[in-house]
Amino acid sequence: MKFKAIYKNIAAAATAAAISASLGGCHSIETWENDLYGNFDALWTIIDQHYCFFGSKDIDWKETGERYRATIDPEWKEKDLFFHCAAMLDELKDGHTNLISWFNVSYYRNWWSDYPQNFNLRLIQEHYLDFNYYSGNGIIYKILEDRNVGYMHYSSFAASFGEAFVDEMLYSMRETDGLIIDVRDNGGGDMTNVERLVSHFLDKRICAGYICHKTGPGHNDFSEPYAYYYDPAENHVRWLKPVIVLTNRSTFSAANNFVSVMKLLPHVAVVGDVTGGGSGMPFSSELPCGWSVRFSGSPVYDPEMHLTEHGVDPTPGGKIDMDPEQEANGIDTILEFAIDVLNRAAEDKNPPSETRLTRHMPHD
Amino acid sequence: MKTPKILAAVLLCLCAAAAGAQTTERPVLSAYTFEAGSSHIAETYLSPLKYSGWDIALGYERLQAMKFSPERWVMQLQGRLDLQRASNPAKNARMWNVALDLRWGMAHRWKLGNGWSVYGGGSTGIDVGAFYNPRNSNNPVAAKAAWTINALGAVAWNTHLGKLPVCARYQSELPLTGIFFSPAYGELYYEIYLGNHKNLVRGAWPGNYFGLNNLLSLDLRFGRTTMRLGYRCNILSTKASHIVTRRVEHAAVVGIVCEWLSLGPKNNSAHDAKIINALY
Repeated sequence: MKFKAIYKNIAAAATAAAISASLGGCHSIETWENDLYGNFDALWTIIDQHYCFFGSKDIDWKETGERYRATIDPEWKEKDLFFHCAAMLDELKDGHTNLISWFNVSYYRNWWSDYPQNFNLRLIQEHYLDFNYYSGNGIIYKILEDRNVGYMHYSSFAASFGEAFVDEMLYSMRETDGLIIDVRDNGGGDMTNVERLVSHFLDKRICAGYICHKTGPGHNDFSEPYAYYYDPAENHVRWLKPVIVLTNRSTFSAANNFVSVMKLLPHVAVVGDVTGGGSGMPFSSELPCGWSVRFSGSPVYDPEMHLTEHGVDPTPGGKIDMDPEQEANGIDTILEFAIDVLNRAAEDKNPPSETRLTRHMPHD
Repeated sequence: MKTPKILAAVLLCLCAAAAGAQTTERPVLSAYTFEAGSSHIAETYLSPLKYSGWDIALGYERLQAMKFSPERWVMQLQGRLDLQRASNPAKNARMWNVALDLRWGMAHRWKLGNGWSVYGGGSTGIDVGAFYNPRNSNNPVAAKAAWTINALGAVAWNTHLGKLPVCARYQSELPLTGIFFSPAYGELYYEIYLGNHKNLVRGAWPGNYFGLNNLLSLDLRFGRTTMRLGYRCNILSTKASHIVTRRVEHAAVVGIVCEWLSLGPKNNSAHDAKIINALY
């Protein structure tokens, strides 16, 4: 009798499952034709459901899609559609958004091309480093002996540096007035490298920012912001003397995030131009024709819950451009400004604060 | 005077039980299989497109009659390591899937006569793995993990093909409930790495976790070893946080089945024991 009862229960469960399965079955997946309109619709839908900055950029994506769809010519070839779709994506004004085909990668450039470059690596290598400097994994550094300041340039957060390399660099600079971290033209990379580098400048655990993600396809479907923290680099050299971070518009993505965290440290000031932004963590998808698309999918906020998609401002008083005439003479006016501030801060035995930057602006 | 009588009765019962135990042996049926076929996979966290390609797998199955009721109950242990590689419709991107599936189950056996047996029961197991799309930047991987409780059913027919003993079997398993891992719709694994572990575990039921594992096998019993030929069709379709995962495999199965009987220095009962096989 027991077995009969068990059998009946199993049979009932199996029947219920079968009914549920027949009702649910394999879950549906939206499909598109592999033609001009199908691929356009796929691209529009992917962005519509996953892009994370519609609200903050005040973009009417429905109207944008209708406008671009209406102007598709059925006689178009593959490349015509590509450039049409790329133009639609450019309306997002997002450096993290690309359409990638076998013949081209679309890229919105105006976030840096509309601004002065404010960086000349050759000038620094020639006139400040004498083509004689330490280098490793994206970082070059040297003590500017006659100025008593340490200088490092980190070209890409995609390059993973060694902790021993950074330890040696910081220890070698311990007698200087301060350190200049140049992240101009740093287009970003790996966020874990941001954490590793920042940890060398911390004396306590800090809130490094907030991240959230989309919870559904609606434009306002977002999770609660999640605070994330960075800890000091244990058993490594930590630098708590004055630091100036140099930025330009090509300081983007993970480098933009690095600046937003460093800026809030009491011994750090940011000098140069507003960073390029790029605070949306990229997400990838693809179209029926095989093109892939990358776009901002998860917004990252700075420790004060500000969205830095449009860039991080320099420390008040620290906004400065390179002087083209001085550049022709081998002088980087942004770097000179930073050196001067560090030297004076050392004289006063104070960090490069906001008032100090303002006091030493060239026009003062 | 009652005590010696009770003791004698107990001893008689124990001896009878011991004698009974001596007459039953439960050989272990172990099957080692290789599977190859086609795969159709979709993982909308990585791509909205359906990918198609090949599938290979190594499988292990252990069947044995249960000790407490060997005529009626059998246990089954299954393990399967699966590798799939599939292409998108444009054939310019690849997606890999690797999955490890381990299950243990128990089923009641009804012998219907003429070599027919029907099995019904349940199983529980874990299914872990990952989809990998190397073309994606920040979302190249979708990790998978599930623990499920499943309904298990099978029908077996022991007959002869000429003089060759064969066993044809169809087995199916359907997850009924359990838990499975899923990030939110647009949640990056980087956020999980940062420590946000909220809502990563979902309850499973056939409406959001539908699976159907089917195996049709034919065991050709050549003397001491047995050759297994078969066809497997596994279907898995899940949906959580608007993310749909689909995995459909059709594979030919070939393998070897062995029967093992444990014999130790204190166990000489095999010669006169009743052999109760879980399948044959």
